[in-house]
Amino acid sequence: MTTAAIALRNLRKTFRSAEGDLRAVDGITLTVEPGEVVAFLGRNGAGKTTTLDMVLGFTQPTSGSVEVFGLTPRHAIEQGLVGAVLQSGALLDDLTVRQTMEMVAALHGPVDVDDALRRAGAESIASRKVSKCSGGEQQRLRFALALLPNPELLILDEPTAGMDVNARRDFWATMRAETKRGRTVVFATHYLDEAEEFADRTIVIDGGTIVADGTTADIQGHAGTSTLSCRWDMVDGDPAALPHVLTHTMDSGHLTCQTANTDALARHLLTRTSASQLAISPARLEDAFVTLTASGKAQT
Amino acid sequence: MLRYAVHDFRRNMRMVESVFFMIVLPTALYLMFSGMNGDANAPAGQGNVAAYIMTSMALYGAVLATSGIAGSAAVERAKGWGRTLALTPAAASSYVASKVLVALAISVLPVAVVMTVGFLTGAEISGLRWLTTAVIVVLGSAAFAFYGLAAGLLFRSEAAVSVSSGLLVVLSFFGNLFVPLSGIMLDIARFTPLYGLAGLARWPQLEGTVAANGPGVPPDEMWFLVLNLFAWTVIFGGIAILAARRGTSRM
Repeated sequence: MTTAAIALRNLRKTFRSAEGDLRAVDGITLTVEPGEVVAFLGRNGAGKTTTLDMVLGFTQPTSGSVEVFGLTPRHAIEQGLVGAVLQSGALLDDLTVRQTMEMVAALHGPVDVDDALRRAGAESIASRKVSKCSGGEQQRLRFALALLPNPELLILDEPTAGMDVNARRDFWATMRAETKRGRTVVFATHYLDEAEEFADRTIVIDGGTIVADGTTADIQGHAGTSTLSCRWDMVDGDPAALPHVLTHTMDSGHLTCQTANTDALARHLLTRTSASQLAISPARLEDAFVTLTASGKAQT
Repeated sequence: MLRYAVHDFRRNMRMVESVFFMIVLPTALYLMFSGMNGDANAPAGQGNVAAYIMTSMALYGAVLATSGIAGSAAVERAKGWGRTLALTPAAASSYVASKVLVALAISVLPVAVVMTVGFLTGAEISGLRWLTTAVIVVLGSAAFAFYGLAAGLLFRSEAAVSVSSGLLVVLSFFGNLFVPLSGIMLDIARFTPLYGLAGLARWPQLEGTVAANGPGVPPDEMWFLVLNLFAWTVIFGGIAILAARRGTSRM
C-alpha cells in the first residue's frame, strides 16, 4: 500500500474571537492518493483555504491529524515534497523574476532555477521586475517558485483568481504538463468550470465539512438535471403547465427549464408546441453544487 | 541561510536612495557638530573631542542602517513574503538570523565612511583604539537590528519604518549621542536602549567618563553598560522571534 499524498483524519480548526468561536474546519476526513488531481470546491468561507493552510503547516489543527506523504506538513516541506501557489503568497517588488527565484532557491537544497522557470513558462519574463509584471505573470512566477523543489504534491489555492481568460487557459495548459508527470495536484477553487474541466475528483466543501466527494461525473449526477432552453411562443400558454419541468424561468420569450428527463421534454416541446431554437446543456457542476450546498450532506 | 543573506545584502545595496541616506547623513552631522564645536581639538580621554563626536555619529549611522533593514523586513512580512518563505525548508528563526547578518554587514558602511572622514578632518584616538571602537559599534548595532525587526514584525507596515527611525533619534538623544546630558535627564537616560551601547562604543577612548554639561558626573561602570546592552538585546530579540512566528498565520 502506497503512502497517501494527503491524509486528513477528523480535522478541525476553530478560531476564537470576541464574537465567539468560528468553526472554520469541522471534522474533515479524506485521503488523496499520489497522482490524483483533486478539486476542493466551495464558496468563500467554506473552509477550503483553512484546510490547505493546515496541509501546508501554516496553521495547527485544533484537533484531528494531517499527514503529507506520511510526514508532518512541516517535514514534508523540508523534504521538498510540497509546492504551493497561494493567493496570499507575496513577492518582493524590487526584485526581478530571476532574482526572486534565486533568493528563494537559496533556502532549498540544490534546485534548478532555469528548469523551474521554463516549466512555469516564465523564462521570457526572467529579467523583468516583479512590480512590472502583470497579475498573470506574477502568478507564473509563483508557480515557478512552487516547482523549485520538484515537489511530488502541488497545492493551488484559487490559482487563477484575477486572471483573464487567456492567462487562465495558459495556466491550466502548463498545469496539465505537470500532472502528466504524475504529480499529485490539489486545487481549491470556486470556479466551477475549472473543477469540471481539470479535476478527476471533486470534493465539495461547505461550512467546514465535506458535502460531496467523488468523480466529477458523480457530482454532476447528484443534480440529476439538465438545462433546456428554447424560444417560447405565448400562444402555447403558461410554461408552468409543461410536463417534466422541475423549475423554469422566462425572460422576454426565452424559456429556461431544469428537467430530469431531457428527452421527454424535448419531444413534447417539438411535437406539441411551437417552441423553437431548443438548446440542451448536460447537468452542470454548478447546479449540482447549488443543490448540494443548499440541502446539506448528500450521499455519495 | 547564508546564501539567502548574501542575496538579501545585494538586494539592499541595490536600493541606492536609502544607502545614500544612511551614509551621508551621519557624515554630514559629524562635520556639522565638530565644525560648530570650538573645542573639537581639545583632549578627551585617549583622543580628542572630535573623535568623541565621530564615534557618536558612526554609532548613529550604524543603528540607522540596522533599523532600515528592519523596515524592509516589515514591508516584506506585511505583504506576505513570510508565507512564500514558509514553503521552503528554512525555519522562521533562520530568517531572523539572516536579517541580522545583513543588517550587520550594511552597518559597516556608515562606520567606515564616518570614521574615514573623521580621521581625515582632525579626529584623534590614540593607538589602535579606533579599531576597537569600530568593532564595538558594528557588533553592538546588531542589538538594534533586533529593535527595528521587532518594530517591523509587530506592526507590519511602512509606517513602522518611519516610527522606528524617528524613535531612534529620540533614543540617540537619550543615549548621549548628540548633546551631552546632565541631571535628571542623565539619570533617566542610563536605562534607555542606546545608552549602554554608546558608553561601550566610547569606552576605548573615555573608559566610562561621561561628558556632561554640568558638574562632574561619576563615570559609568563597564558592567552597567554591558548589562544595559545585553538586557535590551534580549528584549528586542525575544520580541522579534515571537513576532516572526506570528508571521504565517492569516488571522
